[in-house]
Amino acid sequence: MLSPDRLALPDYEYLAQRHVLTYMEDAVSQLLENREDITQYGIARFFTEYFNSVCQGTHILFREFSFIQATPHNRASFLRAFWRCFRTVGKNGDLLTMKEYHCLLQLLCPDFPLELTQKAARIVLMDDAMDCLMSFSDFLFAFQIQFYYSEFLESVAAIYQDLLTGKNPNTVIVPTSSSGQHRQRPALSETSALEGVEASLFYQCLENLCDRHKYSCPPPALVKEVLSNVQRLTFYGFLVALSKHHGINQALGALPDKGDLMHDPAMDEELERLVVRSRLHRTSQKHRSHQAVAFGFRRSDKVEALESLPSTSTQMPYLCRESRE
Amino acid sequence: MTPFVPPPGLSCGGSCHEDKARTPTMIPGKYRTNPGRITQSNVNCGLHLVIQTSSVPEKSKFELRLSKDSSFHNRLLQHDIEKNYSSRQGDGRVISPSPRNKPSFVPSTTNMTDLCGLELKSGANSLSAFGDSSIQTPTKSRIRQGCHSAGPNVSGDHVYLGSSSMPAFPVLHRSNEEKILYSDRLTLERQKLTVCPVIDGEEHLRLLNFQHNFITRIQNISNLQNLIFLDLYDNQIEEISGLSTLRSLRVLLLGKNRIKKISNLDNLKSLDVLDLHGNQISKIENVSHLCDLRVLNLARNFLNDVDDLNGLSSLTELNLRHNQITSVRDVDNLPCLQRLFLSYNSISCFEDILCLADSTSLSDITLDGNPIAQESWYKHTILQHMMQLRQLDMKRITEEERRMASIVARKEEEKKRESHKQTLIKEKKRLTICNVARKWDMQQNRVAGGPSSSQDGKDSDVPSQDACQMNGSGTCVYPEETGSLDPVITTALQGLAVIENHLVEVDGDTLFLYGSGALESLDRNWSVQTAGLVTTVSFTFIEFDEIVQVLPKLKIKFPNSLHLKFKETNLVMLQQFNALAQLRRIDQLTIDPQGNPVVNFTLWKYYVLFRLSHFSMQKINGTEVTQNDMIMAERLFGILAHVASSELPQYRLLSLLGEVRKKQFRYLLEGKGKKSGGVSEEGNDSKRLCGENTNRATLNYTTRDFYTEKLEEIKEKKKFCKTYIQDLVKEAAEINMKNESLQKLWPQLFIELVRDAVVEIRNKNSYMKLCLQRITDTK
Repeated sequence: MLSPDRLALPDYEYLAQRHVLTYMEDAVSQLLENREDITQYGIARFFTEYFNSVCQGTHILFREFSFIQATPHNRASFLRAFWRCFRTVGKNGDLLTMKEYHCLLQLLCPDFPLELTQKAARIVLMDDAMDCLMSFSDFLFAFQIQFYYSEFLESVAAIYQDLLTGKNPNTVIVPTSSSGQHRQRPALSETSALEGVEASLFYQCLENLCDRHKYSCPPPALVKEVLSNVQRLTFYGFLVALSKHHGINQALGALPDKGDLMHDPAMDEELERLVVRSRLHRTSQKHRSHQAVAFGFRRSDKVEALESLPSTSTQMPYLCRESRE
Repeated sequence: MTPFVPPPGLSCGGSCHEDKARTPTMIPGKYRTNPGRITQSNVNCGLHLVIQTSSVPEKSKFELRLSKDSSFHNRLLQHDIEKNYSSRQGDGRVISPSPRNKPSFVPSTTNMTDLCGLELKSGANSLSAFGDSSIQTPTKSRIRQGCHSAGPNVSGDHVYLGSSSMPAFPVLHRSNEEKILYSDRLTLERQKLTVCPVIDGEEHLRLLNFQHNFITRIQNISNLQNLIFLDLYDNQIEEISGLSTLRSLRVLLLGKNRIKKISNLDNLKSLDVLDLHGNQISKIENVSHLCDLRVLNLARNFLNDVDDLNGLSSLTELNLRHNQITSVRDVDNLPCLQRLFLSYNSISCFEDILCLADSTSLSDITLDGNPIAQESWYKHTILQHMMQLRQLDMKRITEEERRMASIVARKEEEKKRESHKQTLIKEKKRLTICNVARKWDMQQNRVAGGPSSSQDGKDSDVPSQDACQMNGSGTCVYPEETGSLDPVITTALQGLAVIENHLVEVDGDTLFLYGSGALESLDRNWSVQTAGLVTTVSFTFIEFDEIVQVLPKLKIKFPNSLHLKFKETNLVMLQQFNALAQLRRIDQLTIDPQGNPVVNFTLWKYYVLFRLSHFSMQKINGTEVTQNDMIMAERLFGILAHVASSELPQYRLLSLLGEVRKKQFRYLLEGKGKKSGGVSEEGNDSKRLCGENTNRATLNYTTRDFYTEKLEEIKEKKKFCKTYIQDLVKEAAEINMKNESLQKLWPQLFIELVRDAVVEIRNKNSYMKLCLQRITDTK
């Protein structure tokens, strides 16, 4: 728990760096906001639940964007929540537009900015027509990179622009960089008519950036791997490569591998139950019954009777939840 | 002189051809069988032309009267009818127009039949003239006999036409006997004359008849300055001329000629009757000086319209049958006009003869044979506009008819007014909607132009919403249910200039709301009936976010609304549908793609079904919802609901659900619909809603401005929390530091303490002594 880093920093800075303060602040503000409700069941219970949900990553659901993007953990949690909630949309095979994805995002975070979605869509669509349809996985992985590393990518974009226009972005920060680079520059920018920048040079800049970047950035080794495969590349090419890289996805840890993207057996089971229930719900609504108390039980009886349920083992918790509702 | 003895005779002329049995013609006939009572019959019937001639000294009172009253009129009025015409020519005219009259006291009237019905009377006052006209009766009878003899065989016995001796013009001579006998009249009927003969030594002639000849030019009669009556019927005259000296002329009959133009009547100031029927006249002109003219016959000419009738101040009868008249004007300038015959023309609309309505004297009009007479509104319109009328198309107008006409007219008027009102309202509605649409477009453009840069779409939306609230205020909705339509129409009339910014309309079971201002109408007190009837609510040109705010009111005011329609409401996000969940029930939802981009999404229907599944909706955008749709919706979004309900920490769940409740409370407090019962009902509702659908209830929609408000609040709180936590953590860190320093110090401290103790007890005896000493001290 206590890493040796801890001693290197004053307590306060340490806590801040580890975003503990963010969560503490948020916990208190949540407490303030829901004072009436929380006092009913105890402040200790509240804090327990709060930090539990932070650990589970469910604390970001329906929260404001400023909170969701506040920490890497929150971002990862949001990505995961988005994947879990709308995996079914992808599974259904629907191709959606950027705006529609944005709407889905807004279902989870009402003030999610359009700009981020647009940028993510740009990675997929390579700046073509922005109204094109995208597959769920394409969008999700692009969105992951864009959302999780958004500050990093902004800096990268600046560096890329600088490289394109022939400035050396690292000259100030890295005065030791070889003068050979400087000499190469004009030639490079001329040949950059080929499009993009030279990968190795780009990597050097990025490595520098990663060193000093206070926000999260992809592991430099992986970035190197991405860039070592090619001679030259464009900014969006770089982003696409990042978004498609398994290692980065794994390092980020929010989403499963691309192959497993549609795979979530626990949720699928849950969904099956919900579908059955909704079917029953609809039929039961047709011959509408007033006995709200008996509702849950009757319904569950029917569920058992229906036999269409894939697993009977999970039925108990389901019933419990049902009665709790 | 006011010589005219009014209606019976003249009016009989108009009516006789319609209804012979009714004509007063018979009356004189009857009277005439009794010779002694002739004068009386004169008074009663016939056309009385009373002429005052100053030039005739002795026989200043001259009466010319023929027993057959009607035939003259028939001539004047009816010769234009070919059928009658020929028959009259055949027998009526030549032999006797009315055999029944023949046995009456003048047995042979043949020659004068053309004049029958015409009575010329000379005298200052017609009635008094009759009184002393005892001498005149024999005169007349004499004339008639004379006429008779001078009839068909004029040339033979009594009149000698010296045509052979004078090649240029035949000269007419009469024997002295003839002259004495018929000193004032001369008939040259059917003499095959091609020119007017020179009539010598007959300066006293008063009556001259050239009927049925072939005369092409009026000549050689300028010396007959006493002439009163000139008949040139059925000749070939092409121009009116040669009459300038005949200052006494009262009756000029020029029917059935070839006259193209009315002219050269300048000196005939005393003209009383002018018959120009059956000519080729296309314009009424050069008659304005004829201030004594009472009868003008222009039937069967080529007139196209009637205009400029000034000066004919005595005209009582105007015959314009069988022309091509399309419009009549200026008739109201004829102060004495009583009878106007316009049959068989081309009048097609009432506006073209509107001037008739302004004439106060008109009592008899014919309009049959015109297109206008075919119209259903013809009769009552005419009657309605011409209250003074006594006969229309030869039929007497009864009181009943008049009443009916006025009723029909009133109805018509009402209908017209109603339809006008309707169109006005419609037009106003259209204008209002246009206006609302324009405002909406402006707003949308502004909104669209705002967030061009980035995510500030929301921020820029906020002012625009304020703006549209401002737009909406300060206008009046026209209320549907007040029932008083008159104020509506008046406001509508004024309102066309001041166009409103919104529109509320109840049409059948649908409540239409246009423009954001229309939402205020939900605050109004709707009648229970109206509110109960409304099952469909249609929103157009209103921001969805604004609609969301009134949904609780809608729920209360229109409890039966099952179908919601949205058009141009800026529905852009799926989450906006969450707001609809708070309603009581929705069976149908119609989201017009126009102005609602959300409809372009492939998932929107499923999301609606999913989120509003507790309504078990029947139709979305007109298509039936199937079981498969529901399952699909559940498959797509079920997990979202599941995650939302099962994975949220308890406090969040409470707060999210609580928000719904809080919101409802807030609206209730804000909302003007302060029904005491409403609150508890509301509470139940929300409980029911939550109970039924907890896992979905967490998916709610906060309108953008509320959300930004909330974010502001959160920001404030965060700021506070930040400083609070900062202080707390700092304090804790300080404590921790102190603790740590203590921890560092403590071992040394402990050693020192132990050493001190050890030093103290090193000398056992002295320490014992010391201890004992302490004990004794304490005692």
